[in-house]
Amino acid sequence: MPPNDELALLRRVAAKDRKAFEALYHIYYRRLFGYLLKLTRRAELVEEVLNDVMFAVWKGASSFDGRSRPSTWIFGIAYHKALKALARRPEEREEEEGERPEPVDADEPESLAARRELAGVLGRALGALSAEQRAVVELTYYYGMAYQEIAEIVGCPVNTVKTRMFHARRRLRELLPGLGISSYAG
Amino acid sequence: MMRKLEDQGERIHERIWDLLPWYVNGSLAERESERVEAHLAVCARCQEEEGICRRTAEGVKSAGEVAPSPHPVQFQRMLARIDESEREERARAAWWKRGEPFRSLVEATPGPLRGALVAQAAIVILLIGVLAWRELHVRPATSPAPPAVYTVLSDPAQAPQASVGLRLMFAPQTSEREIRGLLLGIRGQITAGPSPLGVYTVEIPAGSDPMNVILARLRSESQVMFAEPVVDGATRKENR
Repeated sequence: MPPNDELALLRRVAAKDRKAFEALYHIYYRRLFGYLLKLTRRAELVEEVLNDVMFAVWKGASSFDGRSRPSTWIFGIAYHKALKALARRPEEREEEEGERPEPVDADEPESLAARRELAGVLGRALGALSAEQRAVVELTYYYGMAYQEIAEIVGCPVNTVKTRMFHARRRLRELLPGLGISSYAG
Repeated sequence: MMRKLEDQGERIHERIWDLLPWYVNGSLAERESERVEAHLAVCARCQEEEGICRRTAEGVKSAGEVAPSPHPVQFQRMLARIDESEREERARAAWWKRGEPFRSLVEATPGPLRGALVAQAAIVILLIGVLAWRELHVRPATSPAPPAVYTVLSDPAQAPQASVGLRLMFAPQTSEREIRGLLLGIRGQITAGPSPLGVYTVEIPAGSDPMNVILARLRSESQVMFAEPVVDGATRKENR
């Protein structure tokens, strides 16, 4: 949906229009679910955090000043809520089922199988990063965001975004040869 | 001079190296992107790193989205949460409004007297608190326990009371029709009130629902701000 349409929806949500909120909820549910799962790697937290995020959107829509895109604002709320949830319940952190590489189907084309293997191994390596570093990596590569927009989402200067990416890249280089695809690190 | 040029070159290399993930995802501004391309043409280390960034991007994208669609119940739960929050906000607003006369009085009072007025109010609240605390905690401990009295159901003293009393306070916007509906629901009749605070005394005839059921029903209504049994000798015994 174009950002202008989302902005119109958000304005109606600010006026407590429940129909508009339902539309926004459906637009963002899947996006936020995927983002929060990538960020927290904790399936049991995702639903709860997602509800908190959308509730905050309902309550705070009137404070949205329109200087950024609605998605930047909503992803920013999600980022901070997710970090808070992780801080509240750090002891439950464990490796997710989804981080394991899926078994490769023998009939799959070789390139597809290689991509799936890369995704699986990379998924594990990303799990070893801090949530802050992982957020920068996912927002860059999965969501294709500019570093300025990521800085707005995570609420820090652009140089901090670059520094987090620097450390994430270095850590990934260290981890990936040991995880079985030595050719990956070049 | 040579050293200075090398340092400068290294700084440019680091700056470009930092930008590579965003060059790869295509989000750099045109000018930045051109600077990266110019540097890439001459820097083998950055060319290698660009390849790594591209493969990382490919791996991250291949992981795909694992998000389900929302179940209708989830949005209904969200609406229930919103309703609850709005109810709480309304109750807070009503509570704040009730304090309006006192706030106006304080604001209208000249500066030097204002402190005295607030202190006086604080002392009154403190005294009420102390008395309530003594009522709840001190009296049972210090006064001797009443002698155990056993009675049979045929004892006239145990016969149901003719009626029981309630003190009720309605939300400010409650209409006469809503009040009538609430009273009919509990078969209650207003026997006194409203007091200066807006409290009504309502009598419930014998044979009605138990008091705790009536109270629970009333307290669940948003129009009822306060519902308590009349505490005198007879009704206290009835309510135990």
